[in-house]
Amino acid sequence: MQTLHIGNTARGDNLILSARARWRRKLAGALGQGTLFAVTSVAALAVLFIFYFIARDALPFFRSRGLVEFLTQSDWYPSKVPGHFGAKAIFVGSALVTLGSVLVAVPLGVAAAVCLSDVLPFSARQIVKPVIEILAAIPSVAYGFFALVVFAPLLQDQGNRVLAIAWWILAAPTLFLLVMVLGDLATNGIKSPRLRPPARLAATVLFGAGAAVLLLAGARGIHGLTIVTGTNALNVSIILGIMALPTVVSVSEDALQAAGRDLREGSYALGATRAETICKTILPAASSGILAAAMLGTMRALGETMVVWMASGNAAQIPSPIYNYLMPVRTLTATIAGDMGEADHVTGSDRYHVLFAMGLCLLAFSFVCNLIAEWVVARQRRKLRGE
Amino acid sequence: MRLSTRKLLDRAFSSVGVFAIVLMGLALAAILTPMFQRGIGAFVFRATVEHRRQMLDLFGRGDRAALTAEIESTRAARQPVFDALIAYRGEQSAAIGEALAAAERLGRRGDLLGRRIQRALDRIRALGDFKQRLDMLDRLQDMVRQQNEPETRADVDLIAGIVRRLAVPAEHYGAFTEALRDLLGPLPRDEERILPRFRYGQARWDRALVKRHAFLFVESWDYSDASGMGRQVFTPRRTLFEDTALEPVFDLIEQNLEDMLKPRLTFYGRFLTDHSVDAHFFGGIGPEALGTFYLTLGAMLFAVPLGIIAAIYFAEYARPGRTVSLLRSCVSTLAGVPSIVFGLFGLAFFINTIRVSPSKSVLAGSLTLGLLILPTVIRAAEEALLAVPRAYKEAAMGLGAGRWRTVLTVMLPAALPGILTGIVISMGRAAGETAPIIFTAAVSVGAALNPSEVFTHPTPALSWNIYNLATEHEAVDEIRHVQYGMVTTLVGIVLLLNVTAIWIRARISKKLRG
Repeated sequence: MQTLHIGNTARGDNLILSARARWRRKLAGALGQGTLFAVTSVAALAVLFIFYFIARDALPFFRSRGLVEFLTQSDWYPSKVPGHFGAKAIFVGSALVTLGSVLVAVPLGVAAAVCLSDVLPFSARQIVKPVIEILAAIPSVAYGFFALVVFAPLLQDQGNRVLAIAWWILAAPTLFLLVMVLGDLATNGIKSPRLRPPARLAATVLFGAGAAVLLLAGARGIHGLTIVTGTNALNVSIILGIMALPTVVSVSEDALQAAGRDLREGSYALGATRAETICKTILPAASSGILAAAMLGTMRALGETMVVWMASGNAAQIPSPIYNYLMPVRTLTATIAGDMGEADHVTGSDRYHVLFAMGLCLLAFSFVCNLIAEWVVARQRRKLRGE
Repeated sequence: MRLSTRKLLDRAFSSVGVFAIVLMGLALAAILTPMFQRGIGAFVFRATVEHRRQMLDLFGRGDRAALTAEIESTRAARQPVFDALIAYRGEQSAAIGEALAAAERLGRRGDLLGRRIQRALDRIRALGDFKQRLDMLDRLQDMVRQQNEPETRADVDLIAGIVRRLAVPAEHYGAFTEALRDLLGPLPRDEERILPRFRYGQARWDRALVKRHAFLFVESWDYSDASGMGRQVFTPRRTLFEDTALEPVFDLIEQNLEDMLKPRLTFYGRFLTDHSVDAHFFGGIGPEALGTFYLTLGAMLFAVPLGIIAAIYFAEYARPGRTVSLLRSCVSTLAGVPSIVFGLFGLAFFINTIRVSPSKSVLAGSLTLGLLILPTVIRAAEEALLAVPRAYKEAAMGLGAGRWRTVLTVMLPAALPGILTGIVISMGRAAGETAPIIFTAAVSVGAALNPSEVFTHPTPALSWNIYNLATEHEAVDEIRHVQYGMVTTLVGIVLLLNVTAIWIRARISKKLRG
């Protein structure tokens, strides 16, 4: 109540002023606030300007060529006369690369976020945080340079070995766990305590043999792959995944933190292990925040230009089969960046406007993603407040 | 499930998390290590005498007298090579002379063949090119051989033997001298060439070793395995020049190259400020670094005041309502716009619509970059303002300060470190962004700008030139060190800014804890 009292005396001072001075002060305050509001609006409305000016330059393309060719054909020859503007392969390329990088970034990012929020002690967190910040800070062109100059030759010359190592590191522990759990689950029904251990052993050995066959078959399959070029969708997906990691980690860590202590302690009190607490209680509570993290990671990967321009191979073709990540692709962002150099002295032509049409598609997609992410986060906040 | 399996799963779960974090750390290390390791090579490297010559010729640095003495000593080391070249030419002309004499003997006959030989000889003497002379001689001996006369047999065989002996070295002599020039610079009787890259030998010892390998071995591709890709094969160049005066050159180059180039560990710190010579073959990255500095500074000048004002509004004045939440949505949408779209917008709006400059310029690029980092600045400043303890504000109000005065004299100073952190981080972002400046500010080659030219002129910038040199340069492999140097400089700047931010933040939290 102390503060309220002081506030009252401050306002009491005002009463001593003459009516004119008071009026002047009020006017100055309103003016100041109006200026602030105006400046803020300019900053905020810049995004509407962006929408307007991109759409203004994109419309002539849609008006003269329509949407059908743009979205359903994949002949991309903008400089021919007459030009071909089939961008289907480019859309597919963008989608592939984005999907690949999300597949890299989201599992890793969520695992890292869980580890940061629930597993690691405070002191270890203090070391990991700067690592994430530095990963986020490295300029995209540096990532692109790495992808082109270091990673692409490595993939091209030693690709099979690199992929095989990755396969062993990822698949061997996963299969080992799967075998243990399956062995346990399969013999769960046996009641007799004397029969159970040998039955479990037998089941585990059986599943283990199956897993070993699967592992070796996978390794053989990888050995049989031919990697023609190192600048391909896989390269770009991995690097973009690393770039999107910091976003995913920090947003999902915030969501996990927001789930609160009481949920965790309630779960522990019921006898759940840490893994069960997180998987069954915390992750569902934070699911919308994690969805938002995935959305923001997707936006980051989709909107990235330099890495894909430098290291995706820039071939406007749909890979065959479509999940073949070892083929070069071309993305929307790289096309805008690469083709504008030739198109900007033919301002007003379809070649110029088609790039704005692509920009508009990117803009619309990231706008929608942003809206979803924001809505999801707001909903989670409401839910956690218990409304 | 049994308890032991549950425990196993629990452990596995934790280790997955740790694995993810370790992987992240490894990724960071894998990306930064080659950058810094090879990037430092742009600044510290074993520079040869050619580097010191360039420094003196192009930038006027170094001790002329000492350099002259050094050049003398390298010339002495190179002399045997040049002597071998002269000896080879002498050997060639002696052999050709011998062959011509034999052909003349063949031509001393009265019949039609004799006249044809004479004519051919006249043409051979008029020819300058050694290879063509050999071809003509070969055809001449073939013509006589078809007559099948026993008395000409000796001379014909003599000519054929000389042609056979000289043909292989003569064919490869051009590539030989080219490889030698690449290594040591112009040879004694070469004509002067204009581009600096042809006027000097290898300036860096690491490049010299690569070029030495290219000199000693001929690279070719083996496509015999039709199913796979071509295989690279190296054959010693020496085999092409067996039994000629050039053969000892290979040993000389292999063993005495160090005396010919005199490599010495050099710190080339002015790589950061020197202009580039001959499309980055020599010199430094001064114009690029300056361009990045201008662009970043311009973006900050635009974004910081605007961002802080908007943050003050959001943190202090805005009452929750539809307008404010709309404005907030706009800011977060702005944060999500892809960077290349900012570039398109900069082109369509700043350059084509309001025409801040006739074409690309630093100004247009700065405005675009400023817009890009605006949301970051707003968010950081707002958070910093909101983190100021309520008591500060209440105390100021209680002392009779108005709202405006409270913000200016109490809130802003208290929030300053936090705001500074945000500014420093977004500075790093502005310095590193490439996509927004491609259409608005960046050029591949250009001189350093005066401050007065920033409103009208485009500029080279580190981020753009990394892309450009790594993908579009005519000799990408020759200038890897420059590319790595640029990447290291850019990453170094950005990391330095971030470390500063982390340091400021650590200080704040220490201060808040008392």
